[in-house]
Amino acid sequence: MTTLTVAVSEEVFQPMSSSVIETRDVAKIVPTAEGELVILEGIDLEINAGETVAIVGASGSGKTTLLGILAGLDVPTTGRVWLCGSELTALDEEERARVRGEQIGFVFQTFQLLGSLTALENVMLPAELRGEPGAEQAARILLEKVGLGERLDHYPRQLSGGEQQRVAIARAFASRPNVLFADEPTGNLDTRTGARIIDLLFELNDEFDTTLVLVTHDERLAGRCQRIVEISGGRLMSSAAA
Amino acid sequence: MKANFILRLAWRDWRGGELGLLIIALMVAVGTVTSISLFVDRLHQALLKESANFLAADRYIGSSEAIPDSFREAARARGLDVADTLSFPSMVFTLDDRNTLVSVKAVSTGYPLRGWLEIADEPFSRGTPTSELPAVGEVWLDARLFPALGVAVGDEVEVGLARLTITRVLTTEPDRGGSMYDLGPRLLMRIEDVPATQVVQPGSRLSYRLLLRGDEADLEALKASLKLEDDPNYWWRSIRESSPTIGSALDRAESFLLLGGLLGVLLAGVAVALSAHRYARRHYDHVGVLKTLGATPNQVLGAYLGLLATVGCVAVLLGLLVGTGVHLAIVALLKSIIPVALPLPSARPFLLGTLTGLICALAFALPPLLHLRSVSPMRVIRRDVGTPPPSQILSYGAAAVGSLGLLIWYSGSLMLTIWTLVGTLGALLLSGVLASLLLKGGRVVGMQAGSVLRLALAGLQRRRKENMAQILIFGLAIMLLLILVLLRTALLAEWRSEVPEHAPNHFVLNISPGDVEEMGAMIDAVSPEQGGLFPMIRGRVTAVNGIDAGTWEKSHRSELGDGPGLRSGRNLTWTAQMPADNTLVAGQWWQPGDERAMVSLEDDYARDLGLSIGDQLTFDIGGERLDVEVTNLRRLSWESMRPNFFIIFSPGALEQFPATYMTSFYLEPDQKQFLNDLLSRFPTVTVIEVDAIIAQIQSIIARVTQAVELVLGLVLASGCLVLVASIHASRDARMSEHALIRTLGGTRRLIAGSLAAEFAALGLFAGIVAVVGAELTVLFLQTRVFGLGASLHPWLWLVGPAAGALLILVVGILGTRQLVSAPPITVLRGLN
Repeated sequence: MTTLTVAVSEEVFQPMSSSVIETRDVAKIVPTAEGELVILEGIDLEINAGETVAIVGASGSGKTTLLGILAGLDVPTTGRVWLCGSELTALDEEERARVRGEQIGFVFQTFQLLGSLTALENVMLPAELRGEPGAEQAARILLEKVGLGERLDHYPRQLSGGEQQRVAIARAFASRPNVLFADEPTGNLDTRTGARIIDLLFELNDEFDTTLVLVTHDERLAGRCQRIVEISGGRLMSSAAA
Repeated sequence: MKANFILRLAWRDWRGGELGLLIIALMVAVGTVTSISLFVDRLHQALLKESANFLAADRYIGSSEAIPDSFREAARARGLDVADTLSFPSMVFTLDDRNTLVSVKAVSTGYPLRGWLEIADEPFSRGTPTSELPAVGEVWLDARLFPALGVAVGDEVEVGLARLTITRVLTTEPDRGGSMYDLGPRLLMRIEDVPATQVVQPGSRLSYRLLLRGDEADLEALKASLKLEDDPNYWWRSIRESSPTIGSALDRAESFLLLGGLLGVLLAGVAVALSAHRYARRHYDHVGVLKTLGATPNQVLGAYLGLLATVGCVAVLLGLLVGTGVHLAIVALLKSIIPVALPLPSARPFLLGTLTGLICALAFALPPLLHLRSVSPMRVIRRDVGTPPPSQILSYGAAAVGSLGLLIWYSGSLMLTIWTLVGTLGALLLSGVLASLLLKGGRVVGMQAGSVLRLALAGLQRRRKENMAQILIFGLAIMLLLILVLLRTALLAEWRSEVPEHAPNHFVLNISPGDVEEMGAMIDAVSPEQGGLFPMIRGRVTAVNGIDAGTWEKSHRSELGDGPGLRSGRNLTWTAQMPADNTLVAGQWWQPGDERAMVSLEDDYARDLGLSIGDQLTFDIGGERLDVEVTNLRRLSWESMRPNFFIIFSPGALEQFPATYMTSFYLEPDQKQFLNDLLSRFPTVTVIEVDAIIAQIQSIIARVTQAVELVLGLVLASGCLVLVASIHASRDARMSEHALIRTLGGTRRLIAGSLAAEFAALGLFAGIVAVVGAELTVLFLQTRVFGLGASLHPWLWLVGPAAGALLILVVGILGTRQLVSAPPITVLRGLN
């Protein structure tokens, strides 16, 4: 396992290009009872290091599927995807998981905190999975940063939606990711709380110098990004600076 | 993945209540098996030991000739304890020349090797156990002999030429009766005094026994080394051959206890599988998150394998502790009714418990956990990305292989295991069809029902697949419990009928034809129950179809046969009518007026010796030769304690031979003095008292019954656990539905009512399924495994569904009360 990790790490630091994410002619087609359903088609996209990108589009346009493919959670039916220098489409699930563990962080619309773990333990999880020492100390600092220093031992069910999302953000940054993916991070929150979460997300993004790719319906959130990528009917319609 | 991370994972899951049911189910599996096996193991050992009391030994070698010293030495060389007994009928005389026929038993030091003698100082007073024996030159007499001979303790009597002093009243001896040589009241003396009596002459009716006591392995090794089966002069006996009633009661009880244990294991396995499936399902999202955080499929697998191993170890340890605790509690509770001192348990129950835990974890819990490896990380952003269900082949295959292996090892009986599994699987299949029909029927009823019932039946319909599975699981659990209850009832009824109240407990032999009538009248006056009257003649088979009996036996005797040999002397009788408790299994009973010499054989006896209908048997009766044809085979009721004969002749065949008669009758314990009256009126007859044996059989059966009922209780507990696990497994789905209904304005009463109706309907359907399955399986087990008669149970068709509905209703409502009382927002949040 150690050897592989080193190999992947070396690959990551190869100066292939300035983009951290690149897709070429990506398509996602799923079989259904009525025949094949094209979810994504002909997606060519490049995202540079440090960039903040919002993927927008109507419901069912394929933006969440694209996010999953970019993050290596899913594989396209055809086409190629690179993430931080690794070609995800050439890796198996075992290797993709390693790339995810080392390169990316994730924030979800439904928070996805583990209900049986406290806030502190949820944030410790990425470091624990990698077997890194000092997970607890790092997690405490992050939770202080997101303003939950007093609620370390609370379980998710004891926290409000905004607080849960803050824990999720702390967890996402706990692995010091190169790229942070966010799926509708404010989708389950009221406007005020959502605004605070957006501030927090961009604040930490600046501090950790992370590339941010998010899917959203929230125009304010999209407006905070440097670039907006619009998807419609599974195709990339436009990619423009916000 | 690091061990401490796995431990942390396990600890966090436990703390969050995720692992509770899985650990409890595994623990109960281990605990049930351990406590049942501990109890069965110790009780079995104790019962065997107590049964051994009937022989006064673990085994004995019997013969009508003196046992060679080489046997004794061979036994001692294997570390076995030995003692000798010699029984023979003899006249005993007082100094004033009064006399009576007694059954002398001369014993060596060490007798009895199992059980104990009880003695008293006065005739007809209560005896106390003793470890002593009469000293050389002394005798102990049956109470009945004191008035018969007009003697008292301290007087002298003469046995043959020896003059011996009476020092005690003998009230009980462990190996009383059983042998046809043991006629008349007992006189116990030392074997060292026998030569002085000079009664042992060639032609005397002697019964020598070499009693043996020691480890099973040593005893079996001795049996193998002596090769007695080839020698008609010696017979090797254990309790099973020596006392068929106790043997068969023990066998059946053992089978039942094993079956109870088997079903307990199966039920616990189902509970483990259900809780593991629920655990796995609740962890799909968990694993999805771990994977997005970089956990590789192998790391996920490693973590959950490690978790299962940790949980398994903890559950096994706890289960062993709980099992031992439950066992000790049972022993303490039953102390007053199980007076047998229980020997220390062997390591087997603990091993069995541990292995059960591991196999349950591997076969029932592992498949759903293995499946977590393939959960897609996409699930965390796309809830509609389903997770393919666990491999059915893997899940069911592993459970089937695991159960089969465990059951075979546990029961040591392939036959019992296969029938149990075939019955269970067949019933499941049938139940699947039935459950589907019932659910369809439920929908039709639901259309016309009020809102509570409509909601409940709609609920049943909505989760049709899950509910069908649940009906099957409930049905299976209830079915297994019903099977046990039915078998227990059948076994107890059978045992009670084997030794009915007022069963004849005294046999009278050597009744001369002239005395038959008068004696019959005398017995009728005191006894409510008198057995049939049978003529009796001694004889033995010398040839079969013209072939010498020895040669025939060598080539035809079944290797498995442990019955009497062809050439040994047998009591023969004749009768026109077949005895009432015999059953004809082959051939025809003789018709009135048929003058041919015909013979009827006991079925097992004929099979052991390779005899069949049409064979010509040549008998030697008092030196005369008689040829007869085998015309039918009968099955006997050995347990009836009535006179039973391996060989019965047709009425005309034995007419020319002088015969005596035998009969049997029931006598109350306080009427024993009647025997003296009978013997003084008919001094030549012999009375065999089997009341003590019957009492012992009844006490053993009572104990076995207690064990059977106890095991039933333990298995019932396992069954309830399955119900709880199953209701827990469906809790999440119900929770979300009912929270939504409440959000939409459904009242608590509506939810509680519909839940109650849903559970009651599930229970009712499961009850119907269970009754069908139980009837079929019990029919099968009764006839194939336990050798009992077949019977249907109409009452069950009412009780089963009603009990199912009530049971599931109670367990279901208790398991989901939180669901009804919690505010919907908490439920919805918890489900997030």
